[in-house]
Amino acid sequence: MKHVLGLIIILLFIIGFSLVLTVAGNYILPSQEIRSLAKYYLYLAYNPWHRNFTVMSPEAVTSIVWDFRGLDTVFETAVFYLAIIGSIALGRGIVKYSKPSGKLGLSLIVKTVTRISAVMIIAVAASIALHGHLTPGGGFQGGATAAVAPLLILIIFSHYYLLEKGVTKDLMLFLRSLGLTGIGIVAIIVYLMALPQGIHAYVLQNQPKPDSSIGLPAYIDGQLISGTLWFFNISEFFAVMAGFTIVFLLITIPERAFKKEEEVERQ
Amino acid sequence: MISLSTYLLTIIITSMIMNLALALYGIFFKPHLTKKIIALTILGDTANTFAIIVGYRRWVFSNTPSRPPVLVNYTNVSQEELIKFVNTAVDPLPQALVLTAIVIGLAVTLFLVFLALQIYRLYGTLDVREIKRLKG
Repeated sequence: MKHVLGLIIILLFIIGFSLVLTVAGNYILPSQEIRSLAKYYLYLAYNPWHRNFTVMSPEAVTSIVWDFRGLDTVFETAVFYLAIIGSIALGRGIVKYSKPSGKLGLSLIVKTVTRISAVMIIAVAASIALHGHLTPGGGFQGGATAAVAPLLILIIFSHYYLLEKGVTKDLMLFLRSLGLTGIGIVAIIVYLMALPQGIHAYVLQNQPKPDSSIGLPAYIDGQLISGTLWFFNISEFFAVMAGFTIVFLLITIPERAFKKEEEVERQ
Repeated sequence: MISLSTYLLTIIITSMIMNLALALYGIFFKPHLTKKIIALTILGDTANTFAIIVGYRRWVFSNTPSRPPVLVNYTNVSQEELIKFVNTAVDPLPQALVLTAIVIGLAVTLFLVFLALQIYRLYGTLDVREIKRLKG
């Protein structure tokens, strides 16, 4: 079995390499034209002349992620949710563990630098998430960036420092549920708005569509928020940041918390 | 006719195929679970880079490079500017799909790390040959 697999890998490599050598001159250089579907997306991402089709977001990637292919992203969030739930399930059954005595964490210099940089990381992450509909970025990127700050604090200060500051698993679970609920509400908000007026609308609808005249406003007080995109990005920011923080908290639980449990079982 | 840009791009594609082969080798033949997970992340990242390259676009005009799929001055955009943007920007769809794939990949990697940690707690080893022998 192992030899067959090795043979397949070598064969795949040879086939791929030969393909590169054969078609190198013609197909490796990307073409000047892109798919017509991509042109459609680029043309309608921000287009004030086609108000019934546009997303009103100058960032084509975020328009695709949360509007054109919004359902994909909702399912992706579900996969992310399940992976985190699986991690929490594997980390269950932990007995109470006490803080060890003595000095914890790294040296004073590292701690001071972390104190400054953690705030800056959170600020940059919030900026990435809040401007996701204008510049490259969004809820995922912002959330993943923000999760670096608790990770740094976990390593440099210690697991107990974060818990004493109130960043517990339960709080993060609450924040994550809040973010996921936010995504769920924003997904059906246009539908809920249309219901009392007797108009029909779609799930994950953002701007008005040809057969549904209702939609969220693209501008609020002169500021472009691109309808649902801004709210999706904020909800996703909280969901991703809290999800990763839970996993980091679980992964840094001291090993003796699990060892103790085994000893209890043996007795 | 061999041009420099074709040659350089061929080097990139070749090294990516090499990367793919090495990652597959690592996943199948390295007995240690941590190394398997590292190889899996390399495989995922290489696949993502391939997807990004698929969406790239050659310079339409020889003096202006391809643009990222972001409309810069959206406040007073004219029809002509929008058409020019559509004709020079790269494909945004692979980028959106890769963005999704990266987050899922990160979550799945974290889950696998937890799984490996649990295996280590239960069996005291991460070597798949040892775990197979234990039959637990």
